[in-house]
Amino acid sequence: MNSTYKKEIWYTLVFSLLLLICGHSGLLFVAVPGLRDIMIMGFPSQYCIPVALGWLGLMVVVVIQAKLTNDLDDEIEALTSTNTTSKTKG
Amino acid sequence: MEQQKWVLENPTLGIIFVAASFVAFYFIGWYSARAAKSSTDYWTAGRNIGALANGLGMASSFMSLATFMGVTALILKLKVPFVYMWIQFALSIPLITLWYGTPLRRMGAYTPAHFVRERYGLSTSYVTVIFMILVMLMYALGQMIGVAKVFEMLFGINYTVALVCGGALIVGYVAIGGMYGTSYNAAFQMVLMGIAFIVPLGAIMKAMGGTGWYFPPLLYADMVPAMLEAVPDFFDMKFGFKWYFSLIPCFTIGAMGLPHLGMRIYTSKNLKSARGAMVWFTFFCGIVFSATYTMGFSGVFFQATSGTTIIPSDYDKITLILNSVFNPPWVLAFVIAGAIAAGLSTISANLMAIGALISQDIIATIKPNLSDKTMQIIGYSAITGGGIVAILIALNPPTFLVVSILWAFGLAGVTMAPLVIMGVWWKQANRYGASAAALISGLTYIAVSPYLFPDLTIAGGLQAKLGMSGALLCVPLTFLILTVVSMITNNIPALMARIPHEEDKRLVDSIHGWAEYDEDRYNSTKAGIIVAAISLFFVIWAVMPGGWTA
Repeated sequence: MNSTYKKEIWYTLVFSLLLLICGHSGLLFVAVPGLRDIMIMGFPSQYCIPVALGWLGLMVVVVIQAKLTNDLDDEIEALTSTNTTSKTKG
Repeated sequence: MEQQKWVLENPTLGIIFVAASFVAFYFIGWYSARAAKSSTDYWTAGRNIGALANGLGMASSFMSLATFMGVTALILKLKVPFVYMWIQFALSIPLITLWYGTPLRRMGAYTPAHFVRERYGLSTSYVTVIFMILVMLMYALGQMIGVAKVFEMLFGINYTVALVCGGALIVGYVAIGGMYGTSYNAAFQMVLMGIAFIVPLGAIMKAMGGTGWYFPPLLYADMVPAMLEAVPDFFDMKFGFKWYFSLIPCFTIGAMGLPHLGMRIYTSKNLKSARGAMVWFTFFCGIVFSATYTMGFSGVFFQATSGTTIIPSDYDKITLILNSVFNPPWVLAFVIAGAIAAGLSTISANLMAIGALISQDIIATIKPNLSDKTMQIIGYSAITGGGIVAILIALNPPTFLVVSILWAFGLAGVTMAPLVIMGVWWKQANRYGASAAALISGLTYIAVSPYLFPDLTIAGGLQAKLGMSGALLCVPLTFLILTVVSMITNNIPALMARIPHEEDKRLVDSIHGWAEYDEDRYNSTKAGIIVAAISLFFVIWAVMPGGWTA
């Protein structure tokens, strides 16, 4: 139970960080001006990367987030039903 | 340079398209609402909405009239910094789902305020409900004014008539449909507005010489050199680190506190369906948001390269102007119907939230034994009442309310999101901490806005008007007060004897899916101290001068 609980906490923190990176990558270009105005696929880097990450990058993160948190729910449910069954038997 | 006021030349087709779309909205509302058998069904659509429809509905609630009007206008004015501001809104549903959406769905909540009531008690929930009704009214008001202006332009009638007629039509279909009707209508509206926005944009790009017209959201790089030549500062970041960082507390955490977004998750069939809806939301939201940036880009490009000057009061009509210049009249009519659909999807979600807050979070707590039929009548009345108040305020709206829709996001971030986040994840959060945090921080946020005491603002200008500087101070202040007051009062037995804190702690385990209670879960004092220390750092940073400009 302890490891499932820890996994829940870690997933929440790590996915929050990944989501924030996807939605706020513009901050990187404010903090490091040298990264600006490098042309990527025809757009300046400070525009191309935040727009692409804010949609396509975010899609990748949420797909993984949905998969792993669904699995975690199943794990909690299995653990809970195992405990209930063993108590009933005991 | 040619400079002229833009007017709609031939409104007939627009009227036909808008009338047809309203007939569809009413039919969908009436047809889908037949499935509602109780007041719970009315507010949560029987918790039976599938992932795709819910994902479309979630995206639709976010695609307000601003997508067609306000956003492109602000890109014309602010250029790229506004794009950054908009990108992060796509984080809302994934973050809500991750932090509290699924636990509250498991609990069977109607609104986030419902969770606040169960977790922190009645008095705290009343504080948050009042703030939430204010936020939802401000939000709905902006949309109501926008829809009335489109009606005014389309039908050639005066603003008051347009507002009353348009408002009555909207309130009618929301009240008839309930959450079932609102959800399926929102899904339909999302498809309608997506097609009405993106397909004509492709034609506009093609007419302007863009080779990536077949996929407008991303393929306009070939127009960039001409843009840089005509508008060299288009891609400039203009503002400082603090400005961009404050988008997190104001709009990212702010959106997490908006009740009408969380309510979409509670309509899901199950938790897996809610997460599926989150994935669809990200897809649809991303494609329309990206197209919005393209439309704003095209507006600036058109103005800079064609020699036409759009007067500032017409900035919010840029989508309509580009369509009237480059597309046939029937396409413009279709775009207007899409814009109306965008406004309606947001107002309907706002009105549903106001109705649920009033009927479920106030009346049902004062009179818990009312019959289901009475609760349904109260529900209709609450939605209609909320709509009438929004219409009445919109008749002669105070300037503060019109310019402050985005400011309202910050208020939700200050008064609601931290309470729900900490309530779900930290057992030591208690009723004293939550009440004190919502009240003190909420009032501080209002006090430091430029609308009440202009001399008290933390940073003047745009960041204060939009609530960014206020939220940078007050969101961490809420976390700070909540954690510190809770940790202190948890050690005062006389105070703890007055609240059912043990029951509150058990609720935390149960909404995470744990059947058996474990005192050690979500109960770390160290975590509370870390949250308090980080919050204190940001409170101090927020009040330090500088950092807002480049």
